[in-house]
Amino acid sequence: MRFFTVMLRHTCRNMLLTWKSQGMTLFTVSLSVLIFSFFYLIYANALHLGAALDDDLRLIVYLDEEPPPPMQEEYRRKILKFDQVERIEFVDSAQAFKRFEQQLGDNRDVLGGVPADFLPPSIEVYPIRSMDSLSRIKRFSDYLQTLPGVLKVQYGKEWIERFYSFIQLMRVVIILSGSLLIMTTTFMVAHTIRLTLLSRQQELELLRLVGATNNYIRTPFLLEGALQGLLGAGSGMAALLLLFNWIKLQFAGPATSSLLPFTFFSWPVVLLIVGLATLLCVIGSFSAIRRFLQL
Amino acid sequence: MDTSPPEAMIDLIKVSKIYPPEVQAITDISLTVNRGELLFLTGMSGAGKTTLLRLISRMEKPSKGMIDVAGMDVAKLPQCKIHLLRRKIGMAYQDFKLLPERTVADNIAIAMEVVYRPKSSIEKRTRDLLEQLNLTQKYTARAGELSRGEQQRVAIARAVANWPEIILADEPTGNLDADTTARVMDLLHRHNRKGATILIATHDKTLYQQDTHRVIELSFGRMRAPQAEMPDADDAYGEFIPPVSEV
Ligand SMILES: Nc1ncnc2c1ncn2[C@@H]1O[C@H](COP(=O)(O)OP(=O)(O)OP(=O)(O)O)[C@@H](O)[C@H]1O
Ligand SMILES: [Mg+2]
Repeated sequence: MRFFTVMLRHTCRNMLLTWKSQGMTLFTVSLSVLIFSFFYLIYANALHLGAALDDDLRLIVYLDEEPPPPMQEEYRRKILKFDQVERIEFVDSAQAFKRFEQQLGDNRDVLGGVPADFLPPSIEVYPIRSMDSLSRIKRFSDYLQTLPGVLKVQYGKEWIERFYSFIQLMRVVIILSGSLLIMTTTFMVAHTIRLTLLSRQQELELLRLVGATNNYIRTPFLLEGALQGLLGAGSGMAALLLLFNWIKLQFAGPATSSLLPFTFFSWPVVLLIVGLATLLCVIGSFSAIRRFLQL
Repeated sequence: MDTSPPEAMIDLIKVSKIYPPEVQAITDISLTVNRGELLFLTGMSGAGKTTLLRLISRMEKPSKGMIDVAGMDVAKLPQCKIHLLRRKIGMAYQDFKLLPERTVADNIAIAMEVVYRPKSSIEKRTRDLLEQLNLTQKYTARAGELSRGEQQRVAIARAVANWPEIILADEPTGNLDADTTARVMDLLHRHNRKGATILIATHDKTLYQQDTHRVIELSFGRMRAPQAEMPDADDAYGEFIPPVSEV
C-alpha cells in the first residue's frame, strides 16, 4: 500500500515536470486511438449491416419448369452440398404470383387477366451470413447456373460486390491505422519517458545510492506509460463517442434512423481497445527504461 | 553489544583501485573495522580517502582485492542486490549530492522513502535531525539555496536518517565552524553509541586529536602505521592547526 502511494507520488511529480511533452503524448495517443477506432467502428457496423440485410444476400435460381419432387430432391442435394448454404426454399409459380400480388398491394388490379403461372418457378438459396460466403458468392452463382433446367441466377450482384470491396478496403485501412497506432503510441511514450528520465537523472542516481530497489526506480515510469495510455485511449474513445453521436444527430431523420442501424462499440470492445493501447504504452515505456536506465 | 566479541563489519583485504587509465588511487589496503567502531580516516588531499569510502559502498569496484561489508562480498554483489548493501550504509558525500530543486525535508526524506517508512515517521525523524543540526528554520527551504555549511549538515542528516548500521562521513565538517562541528560530531557519536559503525574521512585534526578512537592515515593510496596515540606528531601536510575546540 505504502509502495503504491510512494510510486504514485513519484509518477505525478514526473509527469508535472515534463507536462508539455506529456500533453503532446496524450494528444498523439488519443488521436491515434480515435483514428483507429473510428475506422474500426465503421467496419464493425458494415459487417453488422451486411448481416442484417439478409434478404439481399439471397440468390434466386429461376427454373424453366416446375420441378417434380424427385427433381427437387436432386436440386436440394446438389445445392446443400456446399457448406456455405444455410437453407433453400422452393417457390412455385403460384406462390410467386401471390407474393407479387402482395407487393403490389392496392395496385393489384393491373394483374387482372394475367395467367397465374406467368412467373417462373424458382429456388431461393440463402447463403450463410458471413463475409466469407459473400466473397464466394460469385463463384457459387456460376455453379448454380450450370445446373440443368436453370434459366438464370439472380442476386444483388452490384450491391454485394461493392459492399464486399468496401469491406476489403476497410480491412486494409484498419490494418494501416492499427500500425499507426502502435508506432505512434510506443514511439511517443518512449520519447516522453526518455525526457523524464533525463530530467531526473540526478535524482535517479541518488535513489540508487540510498538503496532503492530496481522496482522502486522503474515502477513510476511504467506507471507513467500506463497512465498515458489509459488517459489517451480514454479520451480518444470519448472523442469517438461524441463524434458518433454528432453524426447520428446529423442523419437523424424519421426514416434513416431505422434504415441505418448504427451502433457504438459494446463495453467489452471499448475496454479491449483502451486496454490494448495502455499495454502498448507500457511496452513503450519499458523499452525506454531498458535503453536509458542501466539497472 | 559492547561486551560481545568484536565482529568485523567492514573487511578489506589487499584492496587496490586503479582509475582508468593509470591513476593508482588505492594500493594494497587491508583494513578491518569492527561492528560499533568509530574510525577516523585521514591523509592529505588526494590520498584516496573518498575512493576508499566509495569502494565500501560499491560506488566503485576494486581493481584488486576483496571487500566484505556486513557479510556481503561487495565486489561480487550483483546489480539487483546492491540495494541491500546500500540500505545498511548511510553516506554523507563530500559533494553532498543534494537535489537543489527540492526542499531540505525532501532531501532527507528520500533515504527513508526508499525503504517505505510511513510518512509520519519520516516527518518526525526529519524534524528531529534538523533540530539537532540547528537547521529547524530550513525545513521547507530549497536545498540549492542553502549555504555550503547548511548543505553539508543536510547531507549528514540524510546519511544518518535511516539509523544505518554503517555511516560513512566524507569530510563531514569541512565547511563548518567550531560550534556546528561539535553538533555534527555529537550526532555521529550518538549514533555510534547506539551501535552504528562509523568511518569519518577528514583533514581536520581537531576532530580526532582528543578522541580515543582509532585513526588510520592514508598517504598516496597506502596505509601508514596506525598512529592513534599521537596523530599530531606527524604533520604530514603542514597546514594551520586551528585552536582546539571543545568537542
Ligand atoms: N573518478 C576518478 N577518475 C580518475 N581519477 C580519480 C577519480 N576519483 C579520484 N581520482 C584520483 O584518485 C586519487 C584519490 O582521490 P580521492 O578523491 O580518493 O582523494 P581524497 O583523499 O578524498 O582527497 P580529498 O581530501 O581532496 O577529498 C586522486 O589522485 C584523484 O585524482
Ligand atoms: Mg575526498
